[in-house]
Amino acid sequence: MAVVSLEGLSKRYGPHLAVDGVSFDVGQREVMGLLGPNGSGKTTILRILTGYLRPSAGTAKVAGFDVVQEGRAARRRVGYVPEDAPLYPHMRVNEFLDFMGRLRGLDGSRLRAAIGAASERLSLGDVGETIIGRLSRGYRQRVCLAQAVLHGPDLLVLDEPTNGLDPRQIIEFRELIRGLADQCTIIVTSHILAEIARLADRVAILLGGRLLAVRPVAGARSVRLRVRSDIAAGLMPLLQAEEGAGAEIVEEPATDGMVSWRVRTAEPAAIDRFVARLGAAGIGVVELSEAGSDLEETFLAVTSRKPGR
Amino acid sequence: MTILRTLTAKEIRALFASPIAYAVVAVFLLLNGYSFVVTLALSKQATLVHIFFQSAMQLVLLVPLVTMRLFAEERRGGTLELLLSSPAPEIDIVLAKFAAAMLMLMVMIGLTASYALTLGLFGRPDWGPVYSGYLGLVLLAGALVSMGLAISALTSNQIVAAVASLGLFGVLWSIDSLAALLPAPIDNWFLGVSLLARFTPFAAGAMYTSDAGFFLSVILLGLFLTVRALVRR
Repeated sequence: MAVVSLEGLSKRYGPHLAVDGVSFDVGQREVMGLLGPNGSGKTTILRILTGYLRPSAGTAKVAGFDVVQEGRAARRRVGYVPEDAPLYPHMRVNEFLDFMGRLRGLDGSRLRAAIGAASERLSLGDVGETIIGRLSRGYRQRVCLAQAVLHGPDLLVLDEPTNGLDPRQIIEFRELIRGLADQCTIIVTSHILAEIARLADRVAILLGGRLLAVRPVAGARSVRLRVRSDIAAGLMPLLQAEEGAGAEIVEEPATDGMVSWRVRTAEPAAIDRFVARLGAAGIGVVELSEAGSDLEETFLAVTSRKPGR
Repeated sequence: MTILRTLTAKEIRALFASPIAYAVVAVFLLLNGYSFVVTLALSKQATLVHIFFQSAMQLVLLVPLVTMRLFAEERRGGTLELLLSSPAPEIDIVLAKFAAAMLMLMVMIGLTASYALTLGLFGRPDWGPVYSGYLGLVLLAGALVSMGLAISALTSNQIVAAVASLGLFGVLWSIDSLAALLPAPIDNWFLGVSLLARFTPFAAGAMYTSDAGFFLSVILLGLFLTVRALVRR
């Protein structure tokens, strides 16, 4: 059974149609990414799913409960981390988790156990008695995630969860989210392609409030390699070996005495192995760059089509 | 009931965590204390009528400072999204904020009972107007809080919420003077919604069910409009 089911969902703000007839399903323990530029309707869809906004038309169901007709039942099954992780700055971390847990019907030993488990999972043990207003951005994001998973939701909704985090915090937070994917369905938004590619199983591409495509996130990855023409021959055995291992090698037109190849593999880690072999061979590479993912190509292809209205 | 209790406890803590509550109570008690001492010294009469009118006027001025942040702050900080996406019913969220603000105002008004106690110790006050005056103040505070709450639910800007509340309260407080310029029966419509005209009998010791019913109706209307403002999103 689909945990999330959207059917012809629309949301209108006055004359502006923010979401226009969006339909898709998300299955159990699936990570669905909503991808689109700012103003494409991602956050509006999330807010409807979490019960914060009401749809103008269409239906949205969470775990089989209509978010409007059976709003409270649907909201009990959702954990939500809004954009910028809003929290009460005057509260202590444990006080805040206690408050949010009680709102979701937890109390007594169940509440204490839930706070303990969430704090442990998100490494909040050391800051339990810290006032939220004094926490770093990374910790605040964790606290907001902790309140969202306290009650063991069927659906976890994350709106731009890595916004404003530094690179190390982004990696840590991504690992946390991937870990939670074993327990519940996750819908995550981002306008950063690489972020979605690393987190999601499938991606829904939105533009101007319309759903343009729903695609699986392929694992393919490619690099562009540029060397001087006179040493290109030394590179050939390496490229042939990669080709033999299943990589796709495409030679690009030579310019200014340089030769370029695009190496594309279905397995992301194969690229890392190829780059390591290249280094070990001591070949003087002029340029080695990530050449974009399938997701980028899909996104560019889909968003460059004019949506039919 | 558990959710309402949880929300109310959170609102009370938030209210008393803000310096605004202490500033409002301090100003209220300072002005009333000064007025009580000076009036008692000059008139030598064991009455609190002037304190009730002064308190009512101060409520009109100070309640916007209490209610302005109740929803506007949650909306601006994004925490309203957390509250409204939780299983808590909108009515509980509204009632919790109303109850917390009322508790603070009742503590504030209750502290002026020391004046009545002083009169009782050293004089022979007529207790009827004292009781009715306090009842009138609580009902007036309830009406102002519920209207301020509704305005706060419509904006994310606390200053806008405070100014709009102050404007509405000011008009409703003094609209009875406009009634003097208007022919019957239109003048009665304006008198009927005047907070001053409705409060005056309470302060003077005369309690009418119509006046109490008016304040209760305003409280219910304000709460209803606040819930509607939250539901229509």
